[in-house]
Amino acid sequence: MQPLLYIQLNMQLVLQNIIPVPLKEKLLQRSSSIWNKQLLFKKGEWIKINAPSGSGKTTFIHTLYKLRNDYEGTVQYDEKDIRQINANDLAVYRQQKISIVFQDLRLFPNITARENIELNRVMQTPLYEENKIDEMAEIVGVAGILQQRAGLCSYGEQQRIAIIRALIQPFDWLLMDEPFSHLDKDNIAKAAALIAAECTKRNAGFILTDLDEDAHFNYSRKLLL
Amino acid sequence: MNKLLKKLIKAASGRTRFVMAVIGLSVALILIFAAVQVQSNYDELLHSKTNQDSVANFLVLNKVLNKDTYGHASISNDDITKLKQQSFVDEVGILTPSRYKASVESYSNKFPFSTEISFEAVPSEFIDVNSKEWNWNENSNFIPMIAPNMFLDFYNFQFSFSQNLPQLTQDVVKMIVFKVNIQTANGKISFNGRIVGFSDRITSLLVPQSFMDWANQYSGNTQATQQPSRVIIKTKDPGNPLLVQYLKDNGLTTDADKTRFSKYRQIVNVVVNISGGTGIIMLVFALLIFTLFIQLTIASCKSEIELLITLGASPKQLQRFLIKQFYPSNIIIIVIALIIMSVLQFVAHGFLQQQNIFVSWFISITTIAVAVAMALILFLTNYFTIKKYIAVKQ
Repeated sequence: MQPLLYIQLNMQLVLQNIIPVPLKEKLLQRSSSIWNKQLLFKKGEWIKINAPSGSGKTTFIHTLYKLRNDYEGTVQYDEKDIRQINANDLAVYRQQKISIVFQDLRLFPNITARENIELNRVMQTPLYEENKIDEMAEIVGVAGILQQRAGLCSYGEQQRIAIIRALIQPFDWLLMDEPFSHLDKDNIAKAAALIAAECTKRNAGFILTDLDEDAHFNYSRKLLL
Repeated sequence: MNKLLKKLIKAASGRTRFVMAVIGLSVALILIFAAVQVQSNYDELLHSKTNQDSVANFLVLNKVLNKDTYGHASISNDDITKLKQQSFVDEVGILTPSRYKASVESYSNKFPFSTEISFEAVPSEFIDVNSKEWNWNENSNFIPMIAPNMFLDFYNFQFSFSQNLPQLTQDVVKMIVFKVNIQTANGKISFNGRIVGFSDRITSLLVPQSFMDWANQYSGNTQATQQPSRVIIKTKDPGNPLLVQYLKDNGLTTDADKTRFSKYRQIVNVVVNISGGTGIIMLVFALLIFTLFIQLTIASCKSEIELLITLGASPKQLQRFLIKQFYPSNIIIIVIALIIMSVLQFVAHGFLQQQNIFVSWFISITTIAVAVAMALILFLTNYFTIKKYIAVKQ
């Protein structure tokens, strides 16, 4: 039984009554299926979180990515409280276990689009060869701007670069904060197909937050923030 | 990864600041290396030739004899105690003079020879002649003697010519048995005596201390002073300016030639202290500028470093990268300073050789060791500065 149990626990996320301190009063007045609740996200689950404006969507994503510590309750990776993870272990998690597409993208504006992606590819032992960048860029329609400085690309292009950057590295969980906000239907479909393929390949789960309902993926769970 | 990091983390714009730090560090290192090198060259000059060493390290001291000290030039027990306490004195030995009349004559008619003589005795540890015969007891009729080389030189190169006598080698002299007469209260006593060795250390005819004590006791001359008038000291460095100053202050004198290094030593000390002191001060400033430069670079790339860590770069990765950015320039500076030092040493070697002063043509091991120590200090400075400022960014 032990090994099986271990496999089930591998890279599962456990949230125990988390609530951000600055938003505590406001959020407790609303009904939420996440804030101040106990949740377990198993590996491989595709989770959609519908989050109306002001419900703490970005706060939630940042909390899971350990970018902020101003919350009550605990978040656990592999049964380990993420508050206890030190800086060097955290780097290992971010390189190998958890990838992210930020709402504000966070590309380096002064290096090219390709270099932004390449950086994430070589930060750890590379999962893919370099030509995978071209392959993914071709699929989402940004192959032409890879040599441009990221700061000069349009927001929609930057969004797709950020998606490729997140997909080029190994991960068990992919966090996405409004990843398609600046894409048209056609491009959303292409990007979603690529994300679905990459997650399936890794047997990885994702948590996607967005303002509205959508049917971009075959979600295993939908929650309201 | 490093190629991309290089694009993101550019050295801070203060290029002049960096150049200044490099120049400052170079000059500081050259001064420090020069101080160490000059000191080791001096040490080499002082200690290289072991034969000189044995002469140089033993000094016979006596009071300066002038109208003030006339008649009481003996060295008191207080003087000896004080001398023993000086840091530059390793050991003090008392030279015991004979208080009886003595004469030496030859047994051979072919080589008629007779002279009045006096002896001195000194504790065995101050004697540089190793001879099994160097002992005496009351039952012994044989007195071993050690003569200064100077005596034989005087005989061979002056006296023998004037008296039409043959020249004698050390080995020949050592074979001659003399008749030694001493005058005691009970009359004249004769012994057989022979030179068992020659020395440069003490310029008088030496006999074993046991014989000297016995003979002085039986001499019956109770009037003569019991106080020694000469002492011998052992010192690590007869060129030590402290020693020279002490002798001067206490009205003592010795063979001036042996302390001639004192003046050079003072000059060397001044050079080493100024050069080393300036070097260390400059090093501190150069380190400070380097530290500031690293700090500035990290501060100017604050947002990039933050985002890199957000994306999963580990602080260790970034620290390693930054060390690689900054430390090699330090190593290059050290190597350049060492090369300049080597050239200077080589030039000094050639120049001093013309003055008959021989120093090594290459820099000393000590200098290289100091360079390695500097490399370590610089590494630690780099490492801790980077570690501190990267850690703050989390």
